[in-house]
Amino acid sequence: MNVLRTVAIFLAASCLSALADTVIEGRVELPKSRHSPIASKRYEIVSKGGVLAPYPAFAVVYLDGNFAKPASLPVLQIVQKNLTFDTALLPLRTGTKVEFPNFDDTAHNIFSFSPAKRFDLGRYTSAERPIPSQTFDKPGLVTLRCDIHEHMRALVLVLDTPHFVRTDNDGRFRLTGLPSGSYKLKAWIDSKTTIERAVELKPGAALRVDFP
Amino acid sequence: MVVVVVAITIGGLTIAERTVSGEARRAFQSAFESELALLRAVRGIRHASLEERCRALVRKPRIHAALEDNALDMLYPSAGDELGDVLADRSTAGQPFARHSIHAKFYRFLDPEGAVIPAGKVAAVGAMEPDEEKQLTASKLPHEQQTGYLWRKSDAPDGEVVELISTPILSSETGEPISALIAGFPPSGEKAGGTGMESGIWLGERLHMPALAGTARAAIGAVVSRAISGSTEAAAEGIPVRVGGTEHFVFFERLNPGSLFPPAYEVGVYPLAGMHARLLRLRWQASGVGLLLLGLGIAASSYISARLAKPVRELAEVSEENRVLRVRAEGALEFTSNELERTARFSADASHQLKTPVTVLRAGLDELLARNDLPMSARDELGLLVHQTYRITSIIQDLLLLARLDSGRVQPELVPVDLTHVVDTCVDDLHLLNDSMDLEVELDVPSGLLISGEKRYTMLIVQNLVENAHKYNLPNGHIRIATREENGMVVLTVGNHAHPIPPASWEHIFERFHRAAVGENVPGHGLGLNVARELTRLHGGELRLVRSDEEWTEFEATFRPANPIPVVA
Repeated sequence: MNVLRTVAIFLAASCLSALADTVIEGRVELPKSRHSPIASKRYEIVSKGGVLAPYPAFAVVYLDGNFAKPASLPVLQIVQKNLTFDTALLPLRTGTKVEFPNFDDTAHNIFSFSPAKRFDLGRYTSAERPIPSQTFDKPGLVTLRCDIHEHMRALVLVLDTPHFVRTDNDGRFRLTGLPSGSYKLKAWIDSKTTIERAVELKPGAALRVDFP
Repeated sequence: MVVVVVAITIGGLTIAERTVSGEARRAFQSAFESELALLRAVRGIRHASLEERCRALVRKPRIHAALEDNALDMLYPSAGDELGDVLADRSTAGQPFARHSIHAKFYRFLDPEGAVIPAGKVAAVGAMEPDEEKQLTASKLPHEQQTGYLWRKSDAPDGEVVELISTPILSSETGEPISALIAGFPPSGEKAGGTGMESGIWLGERLHMPALAGTARAAIGAVVSRAISGSTEAAAEGIPVRVGGTEHFVFFERLNPGSLFPPAYEVGVYPLAGMHARLLRLRWQASGVGLLLLGLGIAASSYISARLAKPVRELAEVSEENRVLRVRAEGALEFTSNELERTARFSADASHQLKTPVTVLRAGLDELLARNDLPMSARDELGLLVHQTYRITSIIQDLLLLARLDSGRVQPELVPVDLTHVVDTCVDDLHLLNDSMDLEVELDVPSGLLISGEKRYTMLIVQNLVENAHKYNLPNGHIRIATREENGMVVLTVGNHAHPIPPASWEHIFERFHRAAVGENVPGHGLGLNVARELTRLHGGELRLVRSDEEWTEFEATFRPANPIPVVA
């Protein structure tokens, strides 16, 4: 009998503990494109009125708070191909190293003057080894440019949290494995717009947050 | 006349000189204008290349990154990498074509409000005085490139005017100007040549023209200021200005029309001294040439008229002489004709007058002869006297005939005359004479030979010749009468034995009353040959003595044939 109850309680507890990871779901209202993008459709960074945003549009939702430093971080890549960056907006955790392989026939010269990260990888072709890379060690928005191809543009969103996710093109998102506590849930919509919500996370709760 | 010519020439010269002056003036004007156009073209090309350079500079991604990615501190350092070669390099200063270099003296960036973004390291971007930098600010950023001018201090005493090119930097995201790059370039080193034109810039109410002295500059500056304030953008024609005692033309034109920068004008000053000198020289030359031509013309016309006048004068004189001569000749002619007529009339009158007494004389003598009571000796004497009267009559007739021939009153009626018959008659008459000579007569005359003449006169001619042939013959002599054709004329030759006639007398024998050294015994009165010749000439022929030597004397008389004999060549 005790064994059954123990097993049942254990099962329940494990179920509960399984349900103890907080989930936030929601939808971000993505800005409708009222004007046609200025940049050519080749490139994925769009500017409307000086505001950079990926196109097709999506947002990045992340939980802002203090989190433990990661033990290790994966190495990401932003590829230059067809005179574009393959990623329009790359959210990553502070301290992530990003490689920038050149798959084009011409040379590229990736640099950024953004305060979050100023770097200049210099001119290099596809044959360059080791593949030039950069570690983004400060949170913020980094605008990547190519000194040779003035229209090449990409954004790197350096976040101090492990909990971030890209929305889909409708703006829907789902964050899982969130710790419980009081945090700010932020939605990065474009370079000038980040909406935040205060959230109280209970273990095992499933929240729904919509932006705005 | 001379006055008129001179007046016309001077008038023509004046018109010509005015035309030439006008042409020269226009030529000068167009020379100035073309030089100015050339200068402007060169400057335009330079300006366009500078603008293009600036446009290329502002497209650089780093400059856009600095401005757009919130990294203004990177602006000038990035620009320094890109624009480093834009700045004038001291190493190029002394090289040839340095004045054509398009290196900037300085550059600055403007922020979106139009204020100058201060540069960190000024040396890298070209030093500027604060008040100069202030002139770079704009109230708003332009959308297009603007041209401006800045008067700043320099090593030259009067400073220098640099050309500003402001190039907007458009956001790669919005297309709106987010900044502007202002670069200052040294003025074009092109200098006008040839016409002595000086050029300068009117900027900020002042004239920058170091080539001119201060007073000249002030004067021209006043003129330009006045003209510009008259709201003209350019002077289409030169404004005359008196500078330093010589005339000048001043042109001006807005250098940066439509620019947001303050207006600047290019001022060109053209010294007319050169043009005036040339015009004056032209005028002198024209006058000199004109006077020369006038002088030549006058000299030529004088010479020609003199040359023409001389023969005319001579002609006039000669005509006068001729007139005088003619008058005299006419007078002489008239006198001679009068004389002839008088003589002829005299002869005729005389003859007529003589005929009557002679007739009376003869009649008286005949009457005496008819008396029976005269002695034989008296009868012989009377006979001789009668003979003499016949002689007188003959002379009178001959004289009358001669007189009539002389007066030209004889118009022979030329008919065919049987010469043969005439000859026969004369020869027959010979036989009737008291022929103690015993002459032999030979005839060689074809029968029926016709000549053109008057019967009576022909008879006289032949009679005379034959009688002479008989009269002057020698005892037992011959007479030969023959005819022949020669040169279409009939030639009658009468030849006879006779004492030769001395050659000196050959012509004299045809004179009136000439009887050579012949005694009075030989009958005749010396008119015969004269009459015969005159009559022969009247018939269109001639009587000549063709031979008279020791043996033979021969006369030749030519007559026109009645029917023209074909000439045997």
